Amino acid sequence: MQHVVVFVEHKAGATRKVTFELATEARRLADQLGGKAHAVVLGPGSAAIAEQLKAYPLDEIHLSEDSDVEKFLLAPAVEYLDAAAKSIGSCIILLPNTMLGKDLGGAVAARLSAGMTSDVTEITVEGGRVNCVSPKLGGALITSCTFKDADYGVITIRPNSFAATPGAGAGHVSQLEKPVGNTYAVSIESDVEEGSGELGIEEAPVVISGGRGLGGPDPFTTLLKPLADALGGAVGATRAAADAGWVPYSLQIGQTGKTVSPQLYLAAGISGAIQHKVGMRSAGTIIAINKDGGVPIGEFADLLVVGDLFAIIPELTKLVQEAKAVHA
Amino acid sequence: MKIVVTVKLVPDANAEKRLDPATKTLDRQPGATVLNPFDEYAIEAALQLKEKLGGDTTVTVFSMVPETGKETVRKALAMGADDAAMLSDPGLAGTDVWGTAYAMAHALKKIGFDLVITGGLAEDGNTGGVPCALAEHLGIPALTNAAKIDIVDGKLHIQRETDSGHQVVQGPLPAVVSVTMAVGEPRYPSLKGIMGAKKKTVTALTLADLGLERPVGSAGAKTEVLSFAPPPSRAKGQIVTAEDGPSGAKIIFDFLKEKKLI
Repeated sequence: MQHVVVFVEHKAGATRKVTFELATEARRLADQLGGKAHAVVLGPGSAAIAEQLKAYPLDEIHLSEDSDVEKFLLAPAVEYLDAAAKSIGSCIILLPNTMLGKDLGGAVAARLSAGMTSDVTEITVEGGRVNCVSPKLGGALITSCTFKDADYGVITIRPNSFAATPGAGAGHVSQLEKPVGNTYAVSIESDVEEGSGELGIEEAPVVISGGRGLGGPDPFTTLLKPLADALGGAVGATRAAADAGWVPYSLQIGQTGKTVSPQLYLAAGISGAIQHKVGMRSAGTIIAINKDGGVPIGEFADLLVVGDLFAIIPELTKLVQEAKAVHA
Repeated sequence: MKIVVTVKLVPDANAEKRLDPATKTLDRQPGATVLNPFDEYAIEAALQLKEKLGGDTTVTVFSMVPETGKETVRKALAMGADDAAMLSDPGLAGTDVWGTAYAMAHALKKIGFDLVITGGLAEDGNTGGVPCALAEHLGIPALTNAAKIDIVDGKLHIQRETDSGHQVVQGPLPAVVSVTMAVGEPRYPSLKGIMGAKKKTVTALTLADLGLERPVGSAGAKTEVLSFAPPPSRAKGQIVTAEDGPSGAKIIFDFLKEKKLI
């Protein structure tokens, strides 16, 4: 028997869709492993998140409003999660495959002498063993990996890979005790949100992405952003666009950037080199707009429209806005 | 001040990558490996810091790598690092995140350091968990995803990227710092650097030098690869030429409707 523990990433009480994907998956796994589905929520705003989590089929929600979690880097969260896992007992810990999720996962796995598998897109249970499917080598291979006989396992999960399905659970809320005797070394002096309130590209159901073909920074805001807004999505970019300083690196998709699996990926002025392809090839539908019909993306896009993206995208944005207005 | 940069060798992105079907570990053929691209940024960050701090600051490159990787380690030396240490041992084959961090921690204690700088992610294993796991094993703080590193009055001042923006954090030394690509484009080795690298010291370590208490390699791994396969390939779709903006928009709009994406 093994329990499943979800780490809930949030900022001052605002969480992301991936939290509910993890909660849903935790229930499914816990049922197969004969254990309970837990969640751990830390820092100011935790109580509000716990209320939202009650809509999902969790057995236990452990929280602490301890403000140290947002004053000090990583260490308080590591202490809490480690202590929670040890008091729950043998468990699989699920975290989002985000910057924080990977950091926290690595630290907690070291503490618990646990295995760690990252960027997982599928989980199965066979004979009480948890098998994780994840891409390796920049997406060139898909591996299936399991935890050897051990009490703990740490998994970071790629957002948008699992369904978020509300359901009834005991939803029992308890307070975590503050770990004693710790002084935290790394203080957070300032914390700046950029583009707050918007979906991260890893979670957006639609990604409108731009490359070298956009020719500069402005089309990302004047051309791609309105289309992304109309479709309820986010703007992404290639490494060339990020290297040129047209967009921040946080928007970069590909081998050295983020990996996304949206329902729709629209690539504007992107040739589709392998380094970009590995970051978006698991998208549901890929549409490309390019002035050149011979670009590599034509080999794997569901639709390549050969034409002038500067003429097509504003018209497309209008069509989408009109269609949405009719349905509204 | 001694800065140690940890680097890993990964399969060349341009060469065919494969796992050995028998051992289910990465087939690291000589010549087909390069420095993990993320680690070049770690070396760059260390060299920038050395230039800023001056004095007796040194940069040591550390790699857990088969002996065949020595030439790739020399590339890091050619970029400007002062010396290198390699941990090579057949017993490391099949090591996972836990064992990597554990063995590295012991090797780093052996060679000594004031600051460890790592890349954010290894391109091959793709876990991103090692920097923090390493810090845990060393019992020192991890300051991750750094875009800018400064040391003022013996304290680390770091601007770091977060999922939603950036933070400024402050912490003590020694520490583990992982960097992002925002630290700046890695420098190319100069001809002088390449020539000089041949004369630099590369210290060889084996597991016997570390006196580990717990097993590493396949025996100590907490995870096991069951199977692997190439990703499902995407079929080639339609290619349509648009006469003008409105017709191109119509083609895409109709396609979105057909796919029920709108």
